[in-house]
Amino acid sequence: MGALPQLVVSTLLLGGIYALIAVGLTLIFGIMRVVNFAHGEFLMLGMYLAFWSFSLWRLDPYVVLVVALPVFFVVGLLSYWLVMKGVIKASHNVQIFTTVGLSIALQNVALVLWTGDYRFVRPWHASEVVRLGGAALNLSQIVAFAVAVAFTGGLMAFMKFTHAGRVMRATAEDREAATLMGIDTERVYRLAWTIGIVCVGVAGVLLSPVYTVYPQAGLQFVLLAYVVVVLGGLGDMRGALFGSLIVAAVETVGAYTLGIAWKEVLYFVLFILVLVFRPAGLFGQRGAETLGM
Amino acid sequence: MQRRILVAAVSVLALLATLPVATAEAQLKGEYKIGVLEPLTGPLSSEGKRHLAGYEIMRDLINARGGVMGKKLVFAVADIPNPTAAASEANRLISREGVKILTGSFSSTLCGAASEAAARHNVIYWESSCVDPRFTRRGLKTTFRTEIDGIGFGWYQVEFAVKYVAPRLGKKPSELRVAFLSEDSSYGQGATEAARERAKKEFGMQELAAEYYNFQTINDFTPILIKFKQLNPDILFGISRNNDSILLWKQAKEQNFVPKAVITAGATGFGSPDFGKALGNDANGPFALLEPGPGFKVEGLRPDGREIETAFRAAVQKATGSYPLGGHQLAAGGLWLLKIVLDKAGTDELDAFRKAVFALDLPVGSLVNGWGAKFDETGQNSNDRVQHYMLQWQNGALVTVWPEEFTTNRTKWLPLPAWDKRK
Repeated sequence: MGALPQLVVSTLLLGGIYALIAVGLTLIFGIMRVVNFAHGEFLMLGMYLAFWSFSLWRLDPYVVLVVALPVFFVVGLLSYWLVMKGVIKASHNVQIFTTVGLSIALQNVALVLWTGDYRFVRPWHASEVVRLGGAALNLSQIVAFAVAVAFTGGLMAFMKFTHAGRVMRATAEDREAATLMGIDTERVYRLAWTIGIVCVGVAGVLLSPVYTVYPQAGLQFVLLAYVVVVLGGLGDMRGALFGSLIVAAVETVGAYTLGIAWKEVLYFVLFILVLVFRPAGLFGQRGAETLGM
Repeated sequence: MQRRILVAAVSVLALLATLPVATAEAQLKGEYKIGVLEPLTGPLSSEGKRHLAGYEIMRDLINARGGVMGKKLVFAVADIPNPTAAASEANRLISREGVKILTGSFSSTLCGAASEAAARHNVIYWESSCVDPRFTRRGLKTTFRTEIDGIGFGWYQVEFAVKYVAPRLGKKPSELRVAFLSEDSSYGQGATEAARERAKKEFGMQELAAEYYNFQTINDFTPILIKFKQLNPDILFGISRNNDSILLWKQAKEQNFVPKAVITAGATGFGSPDFGKALGNDANGPFALLEPGPGFKVEGLRPDGREIETAFRAAVQKATGSYPLGGHQLAAGGLWLLKIVLDKAGTDELDAFRKAVFALDLPVGSLVNGWGAKFDETGQNSNDRVQHYMLQWQNGALVTVWPEEFTTNRTKWLPLPAWDKRK
């Protein structure tokens, strides 16, 4: 019982980190029906942006966050034009190979430019701990959680209440019908990809005070992000947030009760169960798995 | 006039200083070539290059001391970034360069493939770094290892706990309450299982928990730290890589987890300079089993060991501007031992070479790094002869603290005080 407050807090904070990464992935997955295997590498680029800004100019990652939005908007647009545009109408296999290629290329670019050394971003808040009712909360993680909730809410509102959001949802439901209605689907994909990359780039900046920065840093999280996206429902923002919290809860409680070696077994069992019994995900619309919703 | 005399005196002294080297090298009859396999490109390249530098520095010292079997030692170097390259380059050095001995290879991912290739040609494979316990358990008569294996790490962790930590905690070894937390690769599991077995069977320590995790996917240690905090162990034994040890220790502080001692092993994780870089003074306190570091006292060695260790340290300092690092030390220790074996055998013919290896019985302090030598029938040098040292994080840096006869430094913070008292 004494451990309960900490387990709840750890679940929330870890869930926030996963949601931050998964929300961009689910957007790309849902709208474009592209499994972005390079998602983790864009996260890594965000971490490096925070690292270099901090080491060269002592810029706090929260200041870098403001710069990260336009920087990753450009990175998203460029990667779309240079890589994704050419394969957007190709088969899933081609898209998978392309994003895997992009992932390896980005990792190696980082390795060549910045070496494989481990780097650290240590602003004042990185080791700041808030103690509340028997639980310890890392300040950087609290901020990451708050931003994750804000991003998810913002994206949900964007998708629901704006014209661009409605157009994106229409395109996700039926590409041909959307085209017939005069929607520029290529523009929709470009926007979805770019927003997804901005989300994960921002996530990278926010996670830099918590985790070590190195060329393979993205791999540490990306597998979990896929689990979250499938669990929550493809393309569902709310699902991404709750899926993240569910995975974090399984991981935290499983590690505490059964042992840390079991955590991956547990959430992958959950992953398989969801795929078998509710392929659209816990919050996804029935049949959405075939539509890519 | 006085100036001329001074110049002449200095010139004569300079000539005399180089004389032993020049004479020793001049007396060498011909060359003896061995193959050196190292990862010089790819993700292991920085360690591979450091390892090769250690070999080269020691090669020059060996040649200044009579070479091997009276010949000048020379290298045929090959780059082995991955196991496929390790096998093919081993084949190439054997068939094209005609080497009868291969050495290397820094990494446990490379030594297996390279030594298999050597065994197929009946060529000696002399490993100085990789710690995979399986390396010497394949029944290969051509394979030898000078460094201890991962299991040896576990052996030493318990040795330190029993001989040094327990008395300072005022406990008998059997009264120690211990927990294990390790990454789950064959290296981490091998070392940890060896430590668990020795702690339990030989000393009757009370094991409270043993946990393994995947170092590539671990994102949060909090649940396990809450559990460990409730169990309240005297000693936490650990094997980790890099990012995981930093996250673990950062979160240990957040959770205010304070075991009485943390004993780790290996040049990764708690033993890596990155640990101090990331955590600064928060790194203070944990122990890491390594080769000798700052504070190491050469006076504690036997005369033969002292001479070569002093010369090696000076040569590394001259070449790199710093204290020898683990890669330098492992390579140099292995190569110096190879010279001793070859000089005794007088040949690289396998049977005579094996006989010379197994006849070696050098006490601790006889070789570079303060090592001794006594090989078992699998070709593995023994744990208690390959003297390892416990280093402790003090003021953001690793310093040698054990065995005390080999160091000028002393342990601090045993038992570990509160986090804010370790400055």
